[in-house]
Amino acid sequence: MLDRTRTTLSDGTTIDDLINVQTREVQLRAISDPELYDIEMRKVFGKTWLLLGHESEIPASGDFITRLMGSDPVLITRQKDETIKVMLNVCPHRGMRVCVNDAGNAKVHTCIYHGWAFKNDGDFIGAPVAGEQMHGTILPKEKLGLTQARVHIYGGLIFATWNFEGPSFDEFLGEMKWYYDMLFCRTDNGLEVLGPPQRFTIKANWKTACEQSASDGFHTLTLHRWLGEFAKFGDGDLTTSMYGTEVSSLQGHSLRCMPVANKFKQAKDFRDGNLTIAEKLAIVPPPGITKEMLPELVRNLTPEQLGLLVDSPPQVGGMFPNVLIAFIYVPQPDGEIIGLTSLHTYIPKGPDELEFCNYILAEKDAPEEHKQKALQFAVRMLGTSGMVEQDDSDTWPHITQTAKGAAARNITMKYQAVCTTPPRPDWPGPALVYEGFTKDDTQWNWWLAYRDLMNAPA
Amino acid sequence: MTMNAVIPTDVSVAEEAPFRPNRVPVGSPAYNQIAEFLYEEAWLLDEIRLKDWVARLDIDLRYTCPVRQTRSLAQNAQSIVRTVMHFDETYASIRGRVGRITDTKSAWAEDPPSRTRRLVTNILVESTEDPDEFEVKSYLLCSRSRFEETTLLMLSCVRNDLLRRHGASFKLARREIIVDQTVLGFPNLAIFL
Ligand code: FES
Ligand SMILES: [Fe+2]
Repeated sequence: MLDRTRTTLSDGTTIDDLINVQTREVQLRAISDPELYDIEMRKVFGKTWLLLGHESEIPASGDFITRLMGSDPVLITRQKDETIKVMLNVCPHRGMRVCVNDAGNAKVHTCIYHGWAFKNDGDFIGAPVAGEQMHGTILPKEKLGLTQARVHIYGGLIFATWNFEGPSFDEFLGEMKWYYDMLFCRTDNGLEVLGPPQRFTIKANWKTACEQSASDGFHTLTLHRWLGEFAKFGDGDLTTSMYGTEVSSLQGHSLRCMPVANKFKQAKDFRDGNLTIAEKLAIVPPPGITKEMLPELVRNLTPEQLGLLVDSPPQVGGMFPNVLIAFIYVPQPDGEIIGLTSLHTYIPKGPDELEFCNYILAEKDAPEEHKQKALQFAVRMLGTSGMVEQDDSDTWPHITQTAKGAAARNITMKYQAVCTTPPRPDWPGPALVYEGFTKDDTQWNWWLAYRDLMNAPA
Repeated sequence: MTMNAVIPTDVSVAEEAPFRPNRVPVGSPAYNQIAEFLYEEAWLLDEIRLKDWVARLDIDLRYTCPVRQTRSLAQNAQSIVRTVMHFDETYASIRGRVGRITDTKSAWAEDPPSRTRRLVTNILVESTEDPDEFEVKSYLLCSRSRFEETTLLMLSCVRNDLLRRHGASFKLARREIIVDQTVLGFPNLAIFL
C-alpha cells in the first residue's frame, strides 16, 4: 500500500539526506530520481500555486485554453460573468480528456468517448440516453462535475492550485509581491499575451531549468558569453551587469535587479544623484514601458517602487516552483531601448523531460508598433529559437543524465557562494536582499522552499 | 450493405484546394533548377556552410515559423498562429544568427554541432506574375542527433517559399515553415529549416 505521507525513498534516503542545509549542497541524485518525481508531483505540483497562462488568452465568454498543472491536464474557461475557472480536464466517467483542443470557444464541453456533457464551469449537464440514466444511479448530478481548482488572477496572470486549505496567493508571494507588483501591476490595463505560447520539449528534469531560473547569474558569464563577445552587451564585459542586487524569499521566489547606470550609456548620469525620477524615466523607461505610459506608473506604484524600477529594475528571476520571469532591455543601434517581457513555465513531463512553455507579453496600452518590435526581439532572443536561451537547453539534459551515474549521483551540487555584503542602507524594498556580485543565495532559497514542501505531510 | 452505399455521391473532397493552372511541371527546366537549389541548400545547411547559405538569401527575406495549435476540424485554419512564432526573421537578423555561430567561440547550442539530415521532397512549383519569381512548396523532414543520442529527433514541416531568379540560380526571398508539431520535439531551433 502506498504511503501518502512518505518523505523517504525506498532505500531509506530522506529529503534531508539529499539537501544538506548545513553545507548548502544538494545530492545530484535529486535531479533525476524517478521515485522523487512521483513525490514532487503530489507534494510540489499538487500543493503549490502554478502559473497557467494569462487572461488575455481567453478574452470572451466561452473562450477556453487547455494547459498542464504539473502532470495533470486542465481546462481553463472564461465564464459569462467574466470570471475564470480552472478544472481538471479529465472526464469523471472513465478518464478521457474532455477537451482535446488547445484553445477555442464553447458553451458546453462534451466528452467524445460516451458523451457526458459539462457546462464551461465544469458542472455536469447530462449524458446521452433519455433521462440521463447513462450515469446510472450511483451519484447525484452535483457530484459528477469536473474537479475544480482554486484560482487566483494576479496582474492578469492565471494561477491555480489544488490546495484549498493552503496559503493564499498573496501569502505564497510573501514579501516578494512588492517587487512583482512593479512588473505585473504597474499600468492601468496591465499586460497581455501577444499570442499563444511557444512550446517545445527538452530531455531534462524540470528542476534543472527551475533552479537556474531562480536567478543563476554565474551561467550568463560563460554559457551566454556571446552576449558580450558578439552582441557587445555591457560594452563586451558581462561581469559588470552581474553586479546588482538579488532579492529572494524563503518561498523560493527571486529577482535580479540590475542598475541601469552600469548598463547603458544613456543612464551614466543616473549615479550622480541630480536627476529626478521623472527625468530618469524619460531617459530609460523600464522594459516594456513607453514614455506615454509613464503617468500610469506613477499612479500605480509607490515612490519607493518607482525609484527602484528606474534605477535598478528587476530583469530576470523566478517564481517558485517553475516560472522564469524576464523583463529585458534590448538597446537598438539608434539609441531606442526595446523592452522584452516574457514568462516561461517549465512543465514536468516525467523525470527526464520538461516542456518549455514561453509566453511573450506586452503592456496592453503600448502602441501596436512597439508591441510588434518587442515580439520580434523576444522571438529572436528567448524561447524556441532565441539566441540566448537556445544555449540553456544543452546543459539541462546533460545534468539530467549525469545525475543517474552510479558515482556521479552521490556528488553534490554546491550553493556555497554566499553573499556577505550587507544590503545598501538605502535599499527601499523588503524580502531577503543580496547586494553585489551575483551569488548562490537565491537558488539556495529555491531548494529550501522545495525541501519544505517535500517534507510537509501530504 | 457495402461501404459505397453509405458514402454520399455529392461529396467534393478537393473543394478547398482547386487545381492551380500556374504549375511548373515536374521535370521541366525551371522545376529542375529549383529542385537543385533546394537540394543544395539542404546540403549546405547539413554541412554547416552557413555563410554559403546566407549568400543564397535575398536581402528582402522574410523567414518565419508559425506556432501550431491543436484545433477542432472546424477551426483548423486557426491551428496556424502567426502572432507569436518560433522564428520571425529578416535578412539582417538571420545574418546576426549566423554571425553568432561563425564569429564567436560560445554558440554552445550548436557547438559541438548537431548532425542533421534535411530530406526535401514533394516539391511543387508555381509560376507567378513575375517571370523571375516562383512559389515553391516543399516537404522537409529534418533529423537531428546531438552528443551520444541514439534516437533521432525529428521535425517535419512544409515550407512555403518564394524563390527569385538571380542570374543562373535563385535566392530565397520568403520562407514560411509550417511545422507539424504543436509541441516541438527539438530542444531549440538553433538550426535553420
Ligand atoms: S469517459 Fe467521458 S463520457 Fe465516458
Ligand atoms: Fe540562461
